[in-house]
Amino acid sequence: MARRLLLAAAALPIAFATAVAQANNPAAPASSRADYALTNVRIVVSPGKVIERGTVLTRDGRIAAVGANVNIPAGVVKMDLAGHTVYAGLIDAATSIGLPSPTRALPAAADAGAAAAAGRGGRGAAGGGRGVPVAGRGGPPAPPVILPEVDANAEAADQFSPTEDQLKAFRAGGVTTVGLVFDGGIFPGRVGAALTAARSSGPLTLKSDAGQEVAFGTKRGGVYPATGIGVIAYIRQAFLDAQYESRLDKAFKAGTPGGRPVNDPFRRALMPAATNEMSSWFVASTERQITRVGEISKEMGLKSPIVVGSQEGWRVISALKTSGATAVVSLQWPSADSITGRNFLAVGSGKTGVAPAASAADIAEVHANAAALTKAGIPVALASFGGESGLTFRDRIRATIEAGMSSDDALKAATVTPAAVLGITAAVGTIEVGKLANFVVVSGNDLFAATNPIKHVFIEGRLY
Amino acid sequence: MRSFIRLCALAAAISAPVVLAAQDLAIKNATIITITRGDISNGTIVVRNGKITAVGGADVAIPAGVKTIDGTGKFVMPGIIDAHSHAALENGINEGSESVTPEVQVQLRNDDPVIYRALAGGVTAALLLHGSANTIGGQARIIKMRWGQPADSMYFKGAFRIVKFALGENVTQASSTTPVDEKRFPMSRMGVEFTVRYWFQKAKEYDQEWNEYRAAVKTSPNTIMPRRDLRLEALCDILHGDLKVHSHSYRADEILMLIRVAEENGFKVHTFQHVLEGYKVADEIAKHGAMASTFADMWGYKVEAWDATSYNMALMSQRGIVVSVNSDSDERIRRLYQEAGVGVRYGNMPVNEALKMVTLNPAKQIGVDKMVGSLEPGKDGDIAIFSAHPFAPDAMVEYTIIDGKVYFDRNQASTLRKIAGDSKGPGGTR
Repeated sequence: MARRLLLAAAALPIAFATAVAQANNPAAPASSRADYALTNVRIVVSPGKVIERGTVLTRDGRIAAVGANVNIPAGVVKMDLAGHTVYAGLIDAATSIGLPSPTRALPAAADAGAAAAAGRGGRGAAGGGRGVPVAGRGGPPAPPVILPEVDANAEAADQFSPTEDQLKAFRAGGVTTVGLVFDGGIFPGRVGAALTAARSSGPLTLKSDAGQEVAFGTKRGGVYPATGIGVIAYIRQAFLDAQYESRLDKAFKAGTPGGRPVNDPFRRALMPAATNEMSSWFVASTERQITRVGEISKEMGLKSPIVVGSQEGWRVISALKTSGATAVVSLQWPSADSITGRNFLAVGSGKTGVAPAASAADIAEVHANAAALTKAGIPVALASFGGESGLTFRDRIRATIEAGMSSDDALKAATVTPAAVLGITAAVGTIEVGKLANFVVVSGNDLFAATNPIKHVFIEGRLY
Repeated sequence: MRSFIRLCALAAAISAPVVLAAQDLAIKNATIITITRGDISNGTIVVRNGKITAVGGADVAIPAGVKTIDGTGKFVMPGIIDAHSHAALENGINEGSESVTPEVQVQLRNDDPVIYRALAGGVTAALLLHGSANTIGGQARIIKMRWGQPADSMYFKGAFRIVKFALGENVTQASSTTPVDEKRFPMSRMGVEFTVRYWFQKAKEYDQEWNEYRAAVKTSPNTIMPRRDLRLEALCDILHGDLKVHSHSYRADEILMLIRVAEENGFKVHTFQHVLEGYKVADEIAKHGAMASTFADMWGYKVEAWDATSYNMALMSQRGIVVSVNSDSDERIRRLYQEAGVGVRYGNMPVNEALKMVTLNPAKQIGVDKMVGSLEPGKDGDIAIFSAHPFAPDAMVEYTIIDGKVYFDRNQASTLRKIAGDSKGPGGTR
């Protein structure tokens, strides 16, 4: 500890210089870590819980003290933040930025072995395949497989490799933590969580097994499942296979005659999700996709699925409620002209031939998605999922608030709820002692007001 | 907050179907084609809560307050049913990567404008089938054309579960330019027959495994439940009669082949689709107990469609087969009543026997003839109102009614031409 303090002290002048530079130049490089005392600052501890004037003290990257009256030890960097408000750093519940695409083509040579490893979705003895419909009889060679679409063992946290600019953009948008969700595929891997600190600060990963991702995409060409309708059957079969593996596993451990697990890596990877030991994160944007998540969850006995995207969630609130889902709502709103149901307006109205162009009210309605879901009692976590930059996250939350979400609900949906759904509540989401020192500091008293610029961002006690 | 409520109201407006509110409706002074009980001139029909309560002459009382359509000069018939369509589907029509995929089910695109176009042709229900790329393809969706409703509100409750089979050139990929060594099995008619036999053998073994488990678990509760295989489960459902086979077919030889393989393996071909050479083997089809759904006058577009004839409908009907005429097309779906008329011109089918081919007979083929297909008390209020007899060249659909709700009203639909130009419907091989 002494050595750490010493290091912190040594870093002090640099840190201070950087803080000054940061104020003038938002693109300033990351500082080394120091211990800070943010004084005379308005503290939003958690949504609805505010200390009007107090101090936040950090030590070794964590929150050491919070309160109206905090003793400030010697050697910490004092920052007088009168006229400012400090919030817990925002959590973007789902992004694919910095992750490889599950539809990337792998070298053909790797296909055969890797495809076997991935179990080809575990059709196993039922066979099928492109060749003779007799399992294991060979047949013509399969065309190149775009493999990562089915790689349930892949970990997004492990593969997270953002550029410094991408991380910087997140921080400029107030985001200090991100949920990592692959974009595309069928079982592209496991959802993770990471910090948006500079890469020079060390490993960014917070969690590697936040959930098992399931998506309705396929670009596998001639390989089963080659279509969206095939993918649905494939997903159902994969969950059944994992549940079967779990039965065998239990029977084997219990010494039941005849029970021995298959030990297929794909099935084993899905076992926790298939038995509700891990949550399933379904990527579903449209009305019909979300309904489908409900149907699959019900059939497979999946409790509380996470629905990532949920852009048309307001159209299927009952389906979301019935399945006990948490909505990870993307703030990449669909065009109001393209949502399900526009065609219903196009015909039979007697007024127009094609759906009328979206009005301001139509657009506001799409923006009000998160508000409508919150009002219906569905847990909502906000996300930039589908977007190309974290830079606009705070602006999009502002638009959500303007569309009817309360400021406190929005803050909850960008801090507490995403922390819970990602399983990182112990580390992030509020300004409480012991959690990581992840903060956003704005001038004024409202994080989401356009007129209040973000002054500072702290991640794990480092000032950016 | 007020603005939020307004937004919710707008949301409801987008979701809400463009239909009249009540499910009560009456039509009077019309010629009623009941299909099962002859025609009634100057007739009256009453629908309450979505069900037909009375069909008769001018003396039938219309309860006070029930919205009434004056049918003077108009013809009223049961809503038309399309027994073979790929309209309004999404995410693929063929899971063609493998030749046996009964675990797959097609997905409804509930806001496809083709549904509205079909309504404009008096269609109230349709069998939406998987494509014909596979020997044993995917499961179907059967819908009522409840335009404006969420997808799961359009499914026809009580209908059969149906799976698509296919034979001949589509399955063997005869017209594909793919090199032979990259083609999918089966590549020949021999291979198609083997594929059906092989998979039903597997299904029977699977069925046996589960039967043994069910017997064993009664005495040994620790018996491990076997692996569930959705593909083999679906095949077992066919063996048990819970999943009905609708098989794409053209030539007489392949029809006979499937009948033989089905009878040897203990399942039934419920309906032959297309069945263009059905007239050659009508007695064999009738003996097997299968029905037939065919085209009125489509032929010659590939080798196996060479021997087709418009007399097919009449000839098969005369041999006791329940025959329907289908669209298999997003365009013909809106004029199926004209397709049925071909049976009158070619084969002298009685007019109402011909109309059965787009009403009661397809209803039997999708398992809903107790609910729809004719105008009788107790059946669903699914009705098409024409400006003239449906076989008259200038007849147009004026109203299409489902469960007593008006889903299409020509007076309000001034825009069909624009809509037709706006959507080509879903893509993919049919």
